[in-house]
Amino acid sequence: MTDTPSRLRAVFADAGVTGWLHAVDIDTGAQVEAGADQPVCTASVHKLCLLVALHQEAAAGRLDLTEQVECPPVGRTPGPTGLAAMLDTARLSLRDAAYLMMAVSDNTAADLLLARVGLDTVNRCTARLGLTRTHAAHGFGEMLALMREDAGPDGARALADPHVITRLRALDPARTNRSTPRDMTRLLGAVWRDETGPPEHGAAMRRVMGLQVWPHRLAAGFPFDDVHVAGKTGTLPTLRNEVGVVEYPDGGRYAVAVFTRTDRTAAVLPAADAVIGTAARVAVDALRAAA
Amino acid sequence: MRHLECFVTVAEESHFGRAAARLGMAQPPLSQRIARLERELGVRLFERTSRQVTITEAGTLLLAEARELLARSEAFRATARRIRDGETGLLRAALTPDVPGETVAALLAGFRDRRPGLELELRELTTAGQLAAFAAHELDVGVLHHPCDVTGLELGPVLRRDLGVLLPRDSPPARLDEVPLPALTGYGLVLFPRDDAPAVYDDLLTACARGGWTPAAVRHGQGASFVRGLVLSAGAVALAPRDTRLTAAGDRDPALVWRPLAGAPPAWRHSAAWPRGRGDAAVAAFSDAATHALRTVAGARPEAPDRPLHLRPASEFWL
Repeated sequence: MTDTPSRLRAVFADAGVTGWLHAVDIDTGAQVEAGADQPVCTASVHKLCLLVALHQEAAAGRLDLTEQVECPPVGRTPGPTGLAAMLDTARLSLRDAAYLMMAVSDNTAADLLLARVGLDTVNRCTARLGLTRTHAAHGFGEMLALMREDAGPDGARALADPHVITRLRALDPARTNRSTPRDMTRLLGAVWRDETGPPEHGAAMRRVMGLQVWPHRLAAGFPFDDVHVAGKTGTLPTLRNEVGVVEYPDGGRYAVAVFTRTDRTAAVLPAADAVIGTAARVAVDALRAAA
Repeated sequence: MRHLECFVTVAEESHFGRAAARLGMAQPPLSQRIARLERELGVRLFERTSRQVTITEAGTLLLAEARELLARSEAFRATARRIRDGETGLLRAALTPDVPGETVAALLAGFRDRRPGLELELRELTTAGQLAAFAAHELDVGVLHHPCDVTGLELGPVLRRDLGVLLPRDSPPARLDEVPLPALTGYGLVLFPRDDAPAVYDDLLTACARGGWTPAAVRHGQGASFVRGLVLSAGAVALAPRDTRLTAAGDRDPALVWRPLAGAPPAWRHSAAWPRGRGDAAVAAFSDAATHALRTVAGARPEAPDRPLHLRPASEFWL
């Protein structure tokens, strides 16, 4: 039998990606890793850090999650889902904005919450939880603006140009929002063990992570009706990520963080999405076999 | 510079023992160098516990610049070496196996015109082989295929060579002046091994599917006579630019024929590439000569993005 790191390398290579993974049994601490300390661009995975910071602010009484906010159509952070895709003024609570941010990766909802919470608060929150390699350098709208600037006038079509890929700052962990697979499983473990704050806040965060709609990445690796998958994806040109928790009916629960990069610049690469689930499954099966 | 090298190596290995082994030094002097560097910079670069070393946030911020400085220093030394050695200076370069002989000859002549004093060590290496050789500091410049992992590389202009199809002269699609991809239904495809350039391989199969042809089977082969044999007897066709060696043979070959593909055909995309920060005058001369030779001899054209691109909601970003 081949060892787990070799199998992980093989499934990543078959799918045409370079992948970095960390998986940990939330209750025993047993782990599987493949490049777990690689600095990676988080992209929308950083919305998880924002969610935790939001709930800590609420737990500390500095904001009320049921507060209604108005979101006018002008000045919205662009995006293909949620408020970012809607045309008219919306009115909703902070916690429903958090739901949109996590369920469909709504960029407008994320920046709306980030404006309330503050970038520094997000970074203080992750630092306090011991995520030493995790840092938010900017908000989501700002990240997209940087990418637009680097891509130039051809927009998304320019992303097929290798020159453009080499100059995108949004793809350089040193210059954008970053973390490591190990830091992300540490954060997930804290959320699932209720170490980030009062249990009702932990439950609320786990709920919205379980409502994420995307079936093509982490969830694709666990096609079992009795297995629960909760996660948050992140995507940028050539980058596909997801971090989440897989829970089995026997009580086994596993935090998994998978970050990938493709050489291909195509936007639609189903195999690169699916390998996130395949790799997570290899890791979780190894953890369960060893238990 | 040696201190910076120690810093980068420890950061990459997350382990003093392994880093020391890679640097060919003992562990205590390595620890001392890191400590001295931290004192000099007034910044803590690593957190040390009994079992492991993790880079600090400050260390992460400095790492990219440290790598850049090291690359610059290497380019500086390489240039100095070439200046010092004069006639015996050496540029290590590579081309992918599909670049045809006439283009190679034109490149060599063009390079000699530009840098008469410099020796060129030219090798045939796949795209994946070139990337590995860059990482191992065994290659100064190459011409490779896109897409590939361009992290840490600088690139010359990207050129494209449209692909046509090489098929048996007596096969039905050979009677067409231009072959639409769906006319190849039922045929297999002879293609280079995927490990040579996985992203190019996957992109090509996607382009074939997009054009309406999913090969019945994919056979791996690269040598001209081997590919010829498969095309003649195995119900397979090969895709190649008009100018490849195989195609040139096809023009005179009684049994094989090359036909352009109809519509917007798939293409090979090439550029010169070299590690970021290591592009000196010799590298530039090679890149210029290669670009010129591909354009004039191989008929490669600068590419313009012309296809629509529909980002789907799961892309999460919008441009």
